[in-house]
Amino acid sequence: MQVTLKIFRYNPEVDKKWHYETYDLDVDEKERILDLLELVKGHHDGTLSFRRSCAHGVCGSDAMRINGRNMLACKTLVRDVGDKITVEPLLGLKVIKDLIVDMEPFFDNYKKVLPYFINESPLPADGKERLQSPEQRARFDETTKCILCAACTTSCPSFWASDDYLGPAALVTAHRFIFDSRDEAASERLHIVSETSGLARCHTVFNCTMACPREIQITKAIGELKMATLTGKVD
Amino acid sequence: MATTKSRTLPLTKRGLNFEMFMWMITRLTALAMYGLILIAVIGALIMGARTQMNLADVMRWAFMPNVTHVQDTNVPDLAPWSTPFWKLTASALLLVATAHGVHGLVVICDDYIVSSRGRQIVRWISIAFMLTMMSIGAYLIWTS
Repeated sequence: MQVTLKIFRYNPEVDKKWHYETYDLDVDEKERILDLLELVKGHHDGTLSFRRSCAHGVCGSDAMRINGRNMLACKTLVRDVGDKITVEPLLGLKVIKDLIVDMEPFFDNYKKVLPYFINESPLPADGKERLQSPEQRARFDETTKCILCAACTTSCPSFWASDDYLGPAALVTAHRFIFDSRDEAASERLHIVSETSGLARCHTVFNCTMACPREIQITKAIGELKMATLTGKVD
Repeated sequence: MATTKSRTLPLTKRGLNFEMFMWMITRLTALAMYGLILIAVIGALIMGARTQMNLADVMRWAFMPNVTHVQDTNVPDLAPWSTPFWKLTASALLLVATAHGVHGLVVICDDYIVSSRGRQIVRWISIAFMLTMMSIGAYLIWTS
């Protein structure tokens, strides 16, 4: 099928201002947007820049705006977005070149919630693992699926307004550890996420939930964090 | 064996600070407003609002205890509103609506003012504004 692919372009070494370039391509409807970008880079313009790695929806490198919605280019098929396709970088982060954005503010916020397992207690008597029941594991199963693609955080109006807001991805990570029965830093993390730039800045817009390529119920997870600060229950 | 003890953090260890407290207050005041508005609407209907519902009349009902607030209306003397019960209802609605609205304003300002000093200034101005509005409103309700 014939596809018109419009791509946001910006090269800081050449361009004073960003612009769009349009490519007419003959592609199969089952091809992915990532395939189209590779086609343009390989056959039309080798200077086109974008991030990619696994190309199978696991690494989260190729999140971008496709027809106005945050998606992974490797998981989005041409037939799902039509024959007029516009590809732009994620909103709310500075564009470095073309579709590549500066992810530092995103990862700075991610680091603030202590995104690692904390347990200073001695190991169990058998010296092996810290066990938990299937129910305890299921409590935070949803939020373990995050791949840090930033599709959620960069679809959030509160993050657009100010990148000091922790953002959905960091809050999802906080949820993953706070509700883990083996972790011992729930209180520390709850204090971090309840600061001015944390939970209270979530206006329940649901953009994050709609944008998540892993279909994590992000707004629900943030709601559970809010309830945890009120009730103290982290089961 | 997996530990099954309940994990409930004490009050001081769950991050319940001013931000989260106000977040909760905003939700609770919204619920309270639904209840208070329902009471006021029922009271207005009992006192004749069923047949007097143009804009001026509605304004009159809205500012019910203050008989001088809207004069160009056919709503008769509102003496029934001047009981302590209705004055307390009106005062409660005024307090929760002002707290709810001003906190909403603060939240919106936080989207545009990102420096911590700027946010502090906005908070103090908002609190002063809120207290002033509450005082003026309460004065009108209880002296009219």
